[in-house]
Amino acid sequence: MLFGNMASKKLRRAGLAQELCERLSRHQINTCHDFLCVSFLELMKVTGQSYQNVQKLLCKVSRACAPKMQTAYDLKMKRAVNPFSAFLSTTLDSLDKTLHGGVACGSLTEVTGPPGCGKTQFCIMMSVLATLPTSLGGLDGAVIYIDTESAFSAERLVQIAEHRLPNYFVTEEKLVSMTRSIHLYRELTCESVLKRIESLEEEIISKKVKLVIIDSVASVVRKEFDTKLQGNLTERSNFLAREASMLKYLAEEFSIPVLGRKLIFLHFLYKDCGATGV
Amino acid sequence: MQRDLGSLPLAPALRARLVGAGFSTAQELLEVGPCELSKEIGISNEEALETLQVIRQECDSDAARMGGDPTSLRTCTALELLEQEQAQGFVVTFCSVLDDILGGGVQLTKITEICGAPGVGKTQLCMQLAVDVQIPECFGGLAGEAVYIDTEGSFMVERVADIATACVQHCQLIAEAHQEEDHHKALETFSLESILSHIYYFRCHDYTELLAQIYLLPDFLSEHSKVRLVAVDGIAFPFRHDFEDLSLRTRLLNGLAQQLISIANDHKLAVILTNQMTTRIGQSQSTLVPALGESWGHAATIRLILHWDNNQRLATLYKSPSQKESTVPYCITPHGFRDVQPPPPSQTPEGSEMNPRKRPRIEEDKQ
Repeated sequence: MLFGNMASKKLRRAGLAQELCERLSRHQINTCHDFLCVSFLELMKVTGQSYQNVQKLLCKVSRACAPKMQTAYDLKMKRAVNPFSAFLSTTLDSLDKTLHGGVACGSLTEVTGPPGCGKTQFCIMMSVLATLPTSLGGLDGAVIYIDTESAFSAERLVQIAEHRLPNYFVTEEKLVSMTRSIHLYRELTCESVLKRIESLEEEIISKKVKLVIIDSVASVVRKEFDTKLQGNLTERSNFLAREASMLKYLAEEFSIPVLGRKLIFLHFLYKDCGATGV
Repeated sequence: MQRDLGSLPLAPALRARLVGAGFSTAQELLEVGPCELSKEIGISNEEALETLQVIRQECDSDAARMGGDPTSLRTCTALELLEQEQAQGFVVTFCSVLDDILGGGVQLTKITEICGAPGVGKTQLCMQLAVDVQIPECFGGLAGEAVYIDTEGSFMVERVADIATACVQHCQLIAEAHQEEDHHKALETFSLESILSHIYYFRCHDYTELLAQIYLLPDFLSEHSKVRLVAVDGIAFPFRHDFEDLSLRTRLLNGLAQQLISIANDHKLAVILTNQMTTRIGQSQSTLVPALGESWGHAATIRLILHWDNNQRLATLYKSPSQKESTVPYCITPHGFRDVQPPPPSQTPEGSEMNPRKRPRIEEDKQ
């Protein structure tokens, strides 16, 4: 199931008459998604309506699940209201400059590289930065850190915090509140990662989360899907794509950055996955 | 009117009743009144009237078509088409060699597909075109508006603002060099703000939303008649996962393509689609090919493939009904899509137009 999905909206809520809905549900057409996937002639047959009426119905259903229009100007003004909310600065000047200000809120950022080059370090540092008050360039919120490799180290987190911001983390109290707002989840299988992501929506609201980190996407996938077996590639690319589209939805809905960390190897493999996309 | 009942847009149950009552052509139906019809086939007077109105409407439009009414006519001679095409102009890409191989830019009334690996610049090109379509007519633009349908969430408004600012600057430089009155007049309204507020952005999260949006697009375009560009970035993402039924996918994709073609024709606008790449594994080696399969390859009229060669970005025109297949380099600067080499100093008065294109290169070198 994909959440936040307008497509699963029941036809009755799209404003169709009850009688018609019952008629459609006898043909297993229950949601807007089902309705839009049926061909025009089929719809005429199922609903027993004329061409013009079916066209009107299609428009009605489409209107119920089509996205709202925004102009680019609206988008820009939304960002301008709170300039801090557009990007989370990495505090590395040259990197910020290339990224147009930092890690973009409302979208997905992938960090990739060979082993030992500092991907986890980057993730830990970003989680410290996100907890900082907005006056210091942070997001003043909690962080969800999904760890699939057991690579997260709380000690290192405190170390980074103390060394990067010696002026801010002067008291124990500040360190405690910072560490308390980083929520760590150890998920070691694909299924549990997916489940965790599905439950994120509620947690983001209740914990006031401003940054989601998944470290790493690749390790569980590579462990569980042996690419030599037939059909595994399709399943794997399905899994990854589902994960990506859920994360994108979350990021946009809450305008928070999501950091996915993958190994560089996956990047190549990921391309190969496409081979099954006939 | 010898039109068969089967070809009329009537509800199937009603048609069955009509056939059962012995009607076979539209003409026969037009001879009866609504009351008579309602009694004969056992429907209410209102339904009967509605049916007759539908038939009358259909027959009228048939007659109009026979009579050669140009508005309902979809046929024309090649000469008329040639005149139309020459009059309608192109959406320039700001990369002159790319414009050249496309025959002047992205064509209106056609579907152009842009394929390429991640990060090669598909979204950049879409954003660039969404800005370029708005260039005022006196600067050789279309003074249009743009619809941007985003399925991947990769539309960055800050980046569009960069591109738009560079585009406005470019026009200002032209205006300064030429000192023509209409240029200054056009520039008064051509600003970053106006460009951004004429990009209509839709974010579709899955293919159902995309289908719904495309259904509604004709209505939207009738309300916003200045739209000259519809960009769908990207067509592939929603269709590449969670699809067990591949025949359904093919049907939906072909339906989408058909709707887009008629939108492009009816509203005289350019449609751009972006597509991902996939690996086809052959006997001895594997190659990168555009995703969504062989049959999708027929959907777009023009196919442009963006790819890398070492550190050079290249654009290959792969399919086009009018242009030669060729490959040209391009680059993406802070200001948007541009030529790789600054064009040689030209002797034509257009030289002043070239200058702004050099600017990004010079600035970049300084960094």
